Amino acid sequence: MATQRIGDINKRRNKAATKTEAIKSIQYHGKNIYGILRAPRIASTEGIVFAAPYRAASSVHTDISASVPLLLAFADFARRKNYWAKDLIFLVTEQEQLGMQAWLEAYHDGDRDLDLSKAYLRPGNLPARAGSLQAALNIEVQDLEIDHVDVRIEGLNGKLPNLDMFNLVQRIMAREGIASGYKQAPRKKRRHSQSHFEQNLRQMLTMLASQSSGVPTGNHGLFHRYRIDALTIAANRRATHATLKGSPGSAAVPLLKAIEGIARSLNNLLERFHQSFFFYVIVNNDRYISIGDYMPALVALVACAFLKAYLTWSTLPATNAELEKAAGWLREHEQEAELEENLEPDKFELPYGSVLIYLTATLLIGFLCNVLPLQQYFLEIPMGAAPLTTSVLSFLSLIGFVLPFVVVLPPGGLELLHVAFLLIYGCALIVIGLLNFALGFFAAVLTVPLVIALETKEENSRSTLRDTIRLATLVMNPMMVVYVIVLAMTFYQFPELPVQKIMLRAATAAMDASAYGLIDSVIYGNWLYFVICTIFLPLWIICWTLSLSKRRDYADYLDFDESPSTSPQPQSKVKTN
Amino acid sequence: MSTPTFSSPRAGTTAKRIIVIYHTQLTPRVIAELLQQFAVKELHIGLTQGLWRYETWGYPIVEATSGAEMWAWFSGANLTNRDVDSQWKALANVFSGVLCASLNFVDNTNSIAPRHLIRPQFMPANGQRFVRYATLPREIVCTENLTPWKKLLPCGSASGFASLLNSGHVHNTKYHSLGLKVRVLCEDHDEDNCIVELTQTANLVYDLRLFELSNNDFSLRRLFGMGLNGYCELAESSKIYVQRNELGERYQLVPEPVHEVKTTRGGHSVVYSVYDMHEQFKEAGERLFNVAWLAPKSANRRRNLAKPSLPPVTVHRYLLGHGQERGRIVTEVTNSHYDALPIMLQEVIPWYVHAYLHTLSIRRKPQRINEYGRQRLPFKLLHYTPGKQRELPSHLEIGFMLPGQTSALISIDVDYLLLKWLEYPPDANHGHYIGSAIVSSQLPMGRNYSALPPEGHLFEHSFKCDTAELCAHLHTEALIVSLPTPDFSMPYNVICLACTVVALAFGPIHSVATKMIIVGRQTSTPKNFVKRSSNQVFRRGKAADEAAAEGEGLPAAGAAASDATGVASARPAISPGSPSGDQPLLEDLDEEEEEQD
Repeated sequence: MATQRIGDINKRRNKAATKTEAIKSIQYHGKNIYGILRAPRIASTEGIVFAAPYRAASSVHTDISASVPLLLAFADFARRKNYWAKDLIFLVTEQEQLGMQAWLEAYHDGDRDLDLSKAYLRPGNLPARAGSLQAALNIEVQDLEIDHVDVRIEGLNGKLPNLDMFNLVQRIMAREGIASGYKQAPRKKRRHSQSHFEQNLRQMLTMLASQSSGVPTGNHGLFHRYRIDALTIAANRRATHATLKGSPGSAAVPLLKAIEGIARSLNNLLERFHQSFFFYVIVNNDRYISIGDYMPALVALVACAFLKAYLTWSTLPATNAELEKAAGWLREHEQEAELEENLEPDKFELPYGSVLIYLTATLLIGFLCNVLPLQQYFLEIPMGAAPLTTSVLSFLSLIGFVLPFVVVLPPGGLELLHVAFLLIYGCALIVIGLLNFALGFFAAVLTVPLVIALETKEENSRSTLRDTIRLATLVMNPMMVVYVIVLAMTFYQFPELPVQKIMLRAATAAMDASAYGLIDSVIYGNWLYFVICTIFLPLWIICWTLSLSKRRDYADYLDFDESPSTSPQPQSKVKTN
Repeated sequence: MSTPTFSSPRAGTTAKRIIVIYHTQLTPRVIAELLQQFAVKELHIGLTQGLWRYETWGYPIVEATSGAEMWAWFSGANLTNRDVDSQWKALANVFSGVLCASLNFVDNTNSIAPRHLIRPQFMPANGQRFVRYATLPREIVCTENLTPWKKLLPCGSASGFASLLNSGHVHNTKYHSLGLKVRVLCEDHDEDNCIVELTQTANLVYDLRLFELSNNDFSLRRLFGMGLNGYCELAESSKIYVQRNELGERYQLVPEPVHEVKTTRGGHSVVYSVYDMHEQFKEAGERLFNVAWLAPKSANRRRNLAKPSLPPVTVHRYLLGHGQERGRIVTEVTNSHYDALPIMLQEVIPWYVHAYLHTLSIRRKPQRINEYGRQRLPFKLLHYTPGKQRELPSHLEIGFMLPGQTSALISIDVDYLLLKWLEYPPDANHGHYIGSAIVSSQLPMGRNYSALPPEGHLFEHSFKCDTAELCAHLHTEALIVSLPTPDFSMPYNVICLACTVVALAFGPIHSVATKMIIVGRQTSTPKNFVKRSSNQVFRRGKAADEAAAEGEGLPAAGAAASDATGVASARPAISPGSPSGDQPLLEDLDEEEEEQD
């Protein structure tokens, strides 16, 4: 093997110790091994990474033990060629994505002096580097008898490698006669006839679904943060090889040739991948939707919220009379009183201050969701990470749930809050959609109908519609949504279990999911947890407030000084018209 | 190649010395002339491809950084800094033409005046001295540099060692470096009594693994494509030195060398076999000279590769941090000697990268540990010239003592600048280069060291020097920094789109606004048979009238047309004068229709 020769490829080690405090001080230790083939045609200013994860035999993941030998075979081949114009780094990582993250952090920030008590990942330093990394290829091979190659592209937070790189891999694989593609189906399943449209739709939706979680589908996903285009080629084992078996190892030749082709194409690049597509949705192996085509869909969805915000703003009550009308109070003596006061201009002051305070309070709850589970005194509680995170989150959402019952906004406040909610909601969705389209799109599809249906005015709403909206809002709680998604996945995976067990299992899985979301955000920088806590939860609290439409009794409002402690009643019962 | 690099680069090194005073028989006329034109006393130019790997190859005979490197000492009466700047630029331009390299990009924005690190080699102590230094890490060294370099030799590429340098073989090496050194050696009391010395060096490192050989044998013919065809008739000495100890021990030489030289330098002995070309080609019958290195035929040849001993000082340089906003330039110097060594570091940071001096720090760690802690090293010397946007690079020189068995990490934080759009190179996304740093140290021992002493010019001069001055200049890697780069194709697309739209809109608007539209008469006959026949009938009757009317009708029409512009005005002026002359088609058709009705 190439790396065993001293002087050929320098053998380097990178020890990574990871402390994931959220999992209660379980420590993982790993060792990455890498060798750098110094290219003869360059002064070590640029490099390409070829990575293969090493999995212990006891690992729960699929066995990919063939990838390291394949990598070394390629390294041995590459060592004898003099056309390399970029240093080649051959990297074997341990501990799955943790190892890769540690290596990348060590490569880019190896000199950082970390505070060891606070750091979650201690990457150490690397003894050798190869300039700025231009591209990376992660190789996961199950067996040398290959059925098909699955090209995985989704990275952290739904980032994608340049479309050129995906196309490059596709072309070269096709030339070597290897069935490859994005979410390539195994040979057996490939034959059954679906309509093209259905296939494309299915592929598009699966891509969006896997992008929306923001979890990378392979070790390549962590490179994107460092502006290194990367993807994984996952070669899957052939299922029925008893009859087809040729000479052992011969099946690896096309794959090795393909890797060589990819390496040489990357080697020949004069510039980094740029100016092509980083934003695309693949519908077919040779078709994609570009950002110019998919973004208008999201914008059109979100535009509804802005339109509604404008309409609500234009019908905001300007005077007390309008306010009463809007709230549905019409009482004789107040009208008279109003007539008396009519001489002076009856301008109504909107309660900006209290609405602002209310918004801040909801955002504070979201902020606490981010911060509280990581605090030292919480970590000292003898409880598992998953229940701990979940209990903190549930407690905070419970506060959000109770908040509208306790705090009732002054008259006009609800309408103003509604406008603010619609604006914040629209902006948030657009921003999320720009950063991770899939997440923004799914969130918009789920919530836009509800947001459009939401009304705060009392007079023109029937109580059944109102109750449905309230119920829907309750279900739209981020925690509930996570639970429902996990429930659906559990049901799909274990259809044989009774419903009760599935529910229970989904509950534990959802708790784990929230803990893993937190860990991901802390170690890799995944945004999903942050987005849910800091954006979706506050928005939900506001949405819940609006759907409840708690108002102060108008009498309370007028005689506020006399009876400040009157508990607010659901005002829908007091309607007079 | 495992590491027979110790033997091979020396085989490829040609050193020529020509001692004349403006004697254009041996020195090229260009060099003789420029010494008269400019006040340059010492000039070094290096053109290099690849990076010298200190860990495995030791120290080179002639130090060079990847890309192009150039420095010069100026001295003369009434010389000012401004004169030197202009002379330096002119000098670079001259050698850009002489060597076909892009040295013409050397100007004030990438040149510095080193304060401590680069010392003059032969300069009169009295009088003012100026120095300029520049690197062009982007330069790619190729055949086009080799050919003019060979032309500077007195025998050209026809005979002597230069005949070995075939571009096809030279550029398949792992490292090759061409050097040019011009020095003027004057007597202290007599400024006019001078000697011009021109030294040209070629430094090649071969990798035997790239030859796809079945065994580890190699020869001059294998390395250079042909044997040596003799020596340059003008040369006083022409010798090949082959190192015989350490890794050279394993090889058997064919033909057996006649002479052996044993040298001891800095407590380290080296044995060289010498082939003197003057002796080899004494007889007239000799045609081509070839040396073969035969490896022992043992079965596991890979086992007996001894790991080369690590040189005392090694150096690396990295760009750390991610993103296109800021980063850290980090230089790592390792001292594997047991004693403390003095280290000098010179950095040139280009103007498009802002360095912050307050972030400069030297951290240390024991050599065997990877991570740097908080232990710091104090500066012994610090010279800093801040850069100026688009005018001057930042120039930094640091001196410190590095304890034994210790690594030092010198880091400085930088900001990346957003350039103006014309300042980006055509391949903007390739990134911008930061030239290599130079680390200088006084070595404690002569192991792995074979550089020439300052007073020497031939390789054999390095044997006899037993002074304690073992000064090594190490060059680090160059860095590529990707500055924030706008999407250059976007304006192109916008321009294309905008131009198309404007062109599409402009054409019709312009033609409508400026052109005079004259409605012509229908000349072709209608396709309908009835119409055609009726048309013929009426035409025939009208033709006679037209011929009569033409005389008076046409001038009137012409006057009317020149008077009025536009569509509408062309019509009425004509019809009264000549009812059938240039009658508008529409009216004509109307008439016809009426007639048919």
